This record gives sequence, C-alpha cells and structure tokens, in this order.
Amino acid sequence: MINRIVVVAASLLLPHLSLADNAWSVVPANSRISFIGKQAGAQFQGDFEKFSGTVVLDPKDGAQSRIDVTIEVGSVNSQDDERDATLRGPEMLWAKRYPQARYVAESVVAKSAKTFMADGRLTLRGETRVFPIQFTFDSSGPAASMTGTALLKRLEFGVGKGEWASTEWVADEVTVKFKLQLQRQTAGAPAAKTQP
Amino acid sequence: MSWTGHSITDKSLPRVRLQLRNSDLRYGSVAQLLHWAVAGLIVTQYVLALRASSLPLGVQKLATLAQHKSLGVTILGLAAIRLVWRAFNPVPPLPPHMIGWERGVADISHRLLYLLLFLTPLAGWFMSSARNFPVSWFGLMTLPDILRPSKIMFSIFRTMHWIMAYAMAAIAAVHIAAAIKHHFIDRDDVLTRMLPGPLRLRRRSTRSAKAVSRGDS
Repeated sequence: MINRIVVVAASLLLPHLSLADNAWSVVPANSRISFIGKQAGAQFQGDFEKFSGTVVLDPKDGAQSRIDVTIEVGSVNSQDDERDATLRGPEMLWAKRYPQARYVAESVVAKSAKTFMADGRLTLRGETRVFPIQFTFDSSGPAASMTGTALLKRLEFGVGKGEWASTEWVADEVTVKFKLQLQRQTAGAPAAKTQP
Repeated sequence: MSWTGHSITDKSLPRVRLQLRNSDLRYGSVAQLLHWAVAGLIVTQYVLALRASSLPLGVQKLATLAQHKSLGVTILGLAAIRLVWRAFNPVPPLPPHMIGWERGVADISHRLLYLLLFLTPLAGWFMSSARNFPVSWFGLMTLPDILRPSKIMFSIFRTMHWIMAYAMAAIAAVHIAAAIKHHFIDRDDVLTRMLPGPLRLRRRSTRSAKAVSRGDS
C-alpha cells in the first residue's frame, strides 16, 4: 500500500522535479536590461538598474517553460538626469503611477539548441501587449545566461503623451536588450526520489 | 549657343568671368562662398543656442539643439575644406599701406578665428558625448561618442564651448570693424575683394597704385 502511494506520488512529482531542474532565478547584480532609443536621429542607450525575475526553461519542452521578469521603472538611467526625470514623468513612463513593468511568457519555442523565441506579454505603463522576444540560453552547472533582444514600440504602451506623442524627434521603436545571468533555484519541490 | 541665339564667340556680349581661385588682387568665388557661408552659419548658431538655452527640456529644445548640432558639424566640415582650399590658394597680400603691428593684428585675429572655428564645434561634440546625447547630422549620420558619459566632462566642455563661442564673437566683431575701417577710412579694397561682383580697384588697392597704372594684370 505504502509502495503504491509512493509510486503514485513519485510519478506525480517527477515532472515537477524536472521543472525544478530547469528553474532559474535572475541574478540582477550580473545582469543587464538596457534599451536603445533614438532622439533627433541619434541613438542613445540607457538601462533599467533594478529588476528581478525567474525563468523556467525546458529546452526540450517549450510548453513547460515560463519567464517572469519584473522591472522597477523608476530605476531608468540614461546617463542624464534631465532626460531620466522626463522619462520617469507622467508623459513618458509615469513611474509614480506604474512603478513596475512586467514580462510574462508562458511558453517558449526552440529555434535551435540554444536559441529560443517567446511570445509573452509585456505590461508597461499599465498597458499589456503581446511582446515577442528572442534569446539564446546557455547553461553550465549551477549558472546560466540568457541574452536577447526585442523591439518595443513605445506608443503602443502609451509611453509618450502630449508633445512626446510625436515621433518626429523621438522614435517610436525602442530596441530592448537584455543579458541575464541566472542561477539554478534550489528545488522547493519535494526531493524524495527514492522509496523510504 | 547662348540663350539669346548669339554664338558664344560674339564679342558684343559682356563676358562674365567666374574667378574660382584667389588672385593677388582678390579672393576667388570659392573662398568667398566658404567665408560668407560660414559667417552666416555662425550667426545662425548663436540664435539657435540662445533659443535652446531658454527652453525647458521638451521637444522644442530637442529640435533646436538637433539643428544647432547639425549646423555645428557642417561648420566643422567647412572649416576643414577652407583650410585645404587655402593651402592651395594663397590669399591676396595685405595692402602695402598696412604697417607692422596692423599686419600682426590681422594675422593673429585670422589665425584665432580659424582655430576657434575648429575648437568650438569640437567642444560641442565632446559636450554631447559626455551627456549621452550623440550628435546626428540632420538625421543622416551620427557622430561617434568621443567620451564616456560624465557630468564633470560635460561641465568642462560646456564651459569651454560657450567661452570659445563668445571669444569668436569678440574677434569677429574686431574683424568686422577692421573691414569697415579699411573700406571707409583707409579706402582700400580689403573688404571689396571678399565680395562678389566686378572688382573696381580703389584708390589704395592691394596692388600699389603704381603697379595698377602700369597696367600690370
């Protein structure tokens, strides 16, 4: 009886155990989320300095994967105080009212052994839109890195009101780049693999 | 065939001679065009800069500064062209009536103007780089950032940029006053030789009156 229970329990838990193997958390200190905007014809780069997230990536089974990253919008830094203040302001990111942006993907498609695409949803400035990203994923032992890009259209998310709604001097397209270092999550799932 | 149907060898038509290069009597059309284009651009730059500095950060300021930077890059390019052209085109000699110290002042002020013509936009370029606002030339080409973003560097180059701009304005004022003096007081052709149109030699021309009356060409 006990054996049967354990076998049933193990068979229910085993898929979750493999997920635990594929569960990672972002190490913000060694990661970078940046964006490239275009103002007056010239590109400039800035970063979001505070963010956190988790990634579950099963390279063999994309449907089981999950990406969940939260960004503190107020942590924007484009190396210029005046511009950053404007970016945080109500006409752009409105960090006071929408302090966080969040990206959630519930599946991932493998393009090759190490490159993937995810059609997740980005919530930014209160707007949620489908937001495809592509990235490479490289793991070795307890660490992994995830590097990728995405193309964001700021007006889709309402970033740019009033005079900033015009794309004459600030382009609509913003390239988002990320380079995340991940560490394997210690399994919160039950560790029992063998019968007692 | 000319417009009026006359043959081009018809001697009854006035001949328009386009003098591209400098002679020892006057500046050629290329030098003149470069000179007045740069002068006009510089005046425009002052207007744009003053307008931009009075605006709060917003689309207007971005647009004004973008124009200012584009013109600045243009001036830098023209300054380089001017120097090269001048290397192949000696300038007309100063009129013989000018004595030592006058020649010295003329020489120094022209050199300083050329120097500032280069250094001022360069300081602007450094300033933009230090503030992570790269310089785009009319949206067609972006200049590489010369410095990493830095508040201190921005401060230094901004100060240099406007000090040099004001220095250039001061020297240009002397330059203009001198040209007026030469024209109305000295009655020589220092001013007219930088102006287009047929050159009528004045009483105290660059060539000595004797040389002109001798019919030397």
